[in-house]
Amino acid sequence: MKKAISLGVAAAMTATLLAGCGTAASSAPAASSEAASSTEATSEAASSEATATEAHEINTTDPIELTISWWGGDSRHEAYQKAIEAFQEKYPNITVSPTYGAWSGWEEKQSTALAADQGSDVMQVNWNWLYQYSPTGEKFVDLRDYSDIIDLTQWTDAAKNACTVADSLQAVPISMTGRIFYWNMNTFKQAGIEKVPTTYDDLIAAGKAFQEKLGDDYYPLAIGQYDRMILMTFYLESKYGKAWVENNECQYTEEEVVDGLNFIDSLEDNHVIPTRPTMIAAGFDSIDKSQEWIDGKYAGIFEWDSAPSKYQSALADNSGFTVGEEIKFGDKANGGFSKVSMGMAITKSCQHPVEAAALIDFLWNGEGAAIMGSECGIPASTAGLASAQAADAVKPLVLEANTKVLAFVDMPLDPYYESSKLKDTTDGIYTDVFDGLSYDEYDPQEAAEILLDGVSGVLSANA
Amino acid sequence: MKLSTAHKIGRFFQYFVLILVGVIMIYPLVWMVGATFKSNAEIFAGIGFLTANPTLQGYIDAVTQNYGGDISIWRAFLNTYSFVIPKVIFTVISSVIAAYGFSRFKFKGRDMLFGIMISTLFLPQVVLNVPQYLMYNSFGWINSPFYLPLWVPTLFATETYFVYQLVQFMRSIPHDLDEAAAIDGCGPVKILYKIIAPMLSPSLVACGLFQFMWSCNDYMGPLLYVQTPSKYPMSIFVKLSMDADSGFNWNRILALSLISIIPQLVVFFCAQDAFIDGISAGAVKG
Repeated sequence: MKKAISLGVAAAMTATLLAGCGTAASSAPAASSEAASSTEATSEAASSEATATEAHEINTTDPIELTISWWGGDSRHEAYQKAIEAFQEKYPNITVSPTYGAWSGWEEKQSTALAADQGSDVMQVNWNWLYQYSPTGEKFVDLRDYSDIIDLTQWTDAAKNACTVADSLQAVPISMTGRIFYWNMNTFKQAGIEKVPTTYDDLIAAGKAFQEKLGDDYYPLAIGQYDRMILMTFYLESKYGKAWVENNECQYTEEEVVDGLNFIDSLEDNHVIPTRPTMIAAGFDSIDKSQEWIDGKYAGIFEWDSAPSKYQSALADNSGFTVGEEIKFGDKANGGFSKVSMGMAITKSCQHPVEAAALIDFLWNGEGAAIMGSECGIPASTAGLASAQAADAVKPLVLEANTKVLAFVDMPLDPYYESSKLKDTTDGIYTDVFDGLSYDEYDPQEAAEILLDGVSGVLSANA
Repeated sequence: MKLSTAHKIGRFFQYFVLILVGVIMIYPLVWMVGATFKSNAEIFAGIGFLTANPTLQGYIDAVTQNYGGDISIWRAFLNTYSFVIPKVIFTVISSVIAAYGFSRFKFKGRDMLFGIMISTLFLPQVVLNVPQYLMYNSFGWINSPFYLPLWVPTLFATETYFVYQLVQFMRSIPHDLDEAAAIDGCGPVKILYKIIAPMLSPSLVACGLFQFMWSCNDYMGPLLYVQTPSKYPMSIFVKLSMDADSGFNWNRILALSLISIIPQLVVFFCAQDAFIDGISAGAVKG
């Protein structure tokens, strides 16, 4: 009897486990085949800026309730609250109730709510949510249907394409973000260098100068494992002139990836970047909290355009903190790394999509943009940026970095590039490859194989 | 004489090691208290607990920040206890009843049911989130002003861990006591609250304490089911301003955390006495 019970219990447990896996596995492929086909469809989607099928009118008389959700910190909460207040003044019949919180757990909250069709009417979304939770366009409204309310011409086609999933403009991009170099020019000057590095040769020369004049502890650039992956992609794309992933397939051969890994190795060998063992031995989880960065021993980072203030304020002497130039590694293309940082969508469960669209337009194109400023990054909407600048609500350093990134980058980002299987800092493929390479556990050949296997694994799981 | 010197030296080392380890263990907590008086730059500068320029700004910000009147620290406290207290009471009551059933009555399928119940102990909460959310949604409980999804389930002994713990405890209470009570005319219900429950009290206090601490610290539950900011409990309130992108003042977060654990500490120390009282309660006469 006892045996039977324990068998039964074990069976029940395996069944629940299997059930858990089953749904995940079976839903994923469906999800991404849609995503793949949508990337193909995007080019037409944006050009056919379909006019709304029927004219909409904002209801200004009947009482209407809208909900909105976002994540962020104190200053963002405050900006949104003020903007909503202004919106309610403009449309006294509309009440907007917000829900907001910190980023941690927010995705779980929203994905659960979306699964139950209980998402707030207007939702601040992360870019990959569109692909993850609404691959067939079943969760978010196609905003092109409301183009008479939201002025969609304020966004570039590239930005809109990135938010077009399953041939449906599921969100408007709030802001675009990308990676750029930041330099601590005080250290560079000590090493006798006056200009920010703009070429590969400049980097190598800086590495030499740092080692000779300042000592072995000084490096012109410090990058973590994920930064290395981004920098390598950057290098490869500009040298070979093709995107890292296109049509859900990695476009690079093993030899080409080996070339990219050798490039990272050459930075280590020439004392441009510290090796991973050196960085890990220093024992910090992010560069802005490291003593080496604070004291100026690491004199450069390759970071988000939205992040400079954090790194700048961490420095003991921040007078030399400078937004660098993107570096041209090849002639075929510029390469680089930029993506939609977040977007704003209307859920399908929204009862008043017209008024929700009016709220979005108010926040990102209209008066609200002046209040929001750069709280959610530099506004991607032209009109929004103009009114935010007019109101002096944009951080100049972030704007400088953002402008440089967006003017330079010419390659689209694969939506699965940041998949946690690849990016995870403990057991992600990128970590394995770049730490393994730096620790000399793998030679470039092996590392390239592991990387390509990992990437195609993620892509085919999403195909 | 010699022996007592050796004894003293031994004692000295015993205490020396104990104190040393104790200090090391408690230092992070002490540091946290110290850090509430520091600025961000000082917090990352070193592991010392004293500060050169103490500031009370962290505490001032912690008690004054109110997100445009939406939610303040006091409100968050009130919100937290308005669902934690019923949750603790109902958990203890329902778990005792369920455990009583499993440990004292022989009914058909008991072992099977017990096995199934134990197996739910291994079910991670993440797996349950979506189905539970869908279910509560169909009841219309999402964003309920009374936090229904957070405490109603505890009426049904859903905290397997406590049921299991109480069953184990009840097994150690001799059946002789029940039988004696039955002879004296007690029915099964009376046996439970006159005989078993008092003997269980240390274990009940432990259950209550654990549930209290877990519920106060629960982040995901309220995050899923509470949407109106004015209804946020403490666990969400503490985290509201933590945004890695823009950075934030750690001293405020630490001060907030410190204030938020004070009631938990008070409850814990009060309950310690009950622990000991419970243990000294009598058993079978020899």
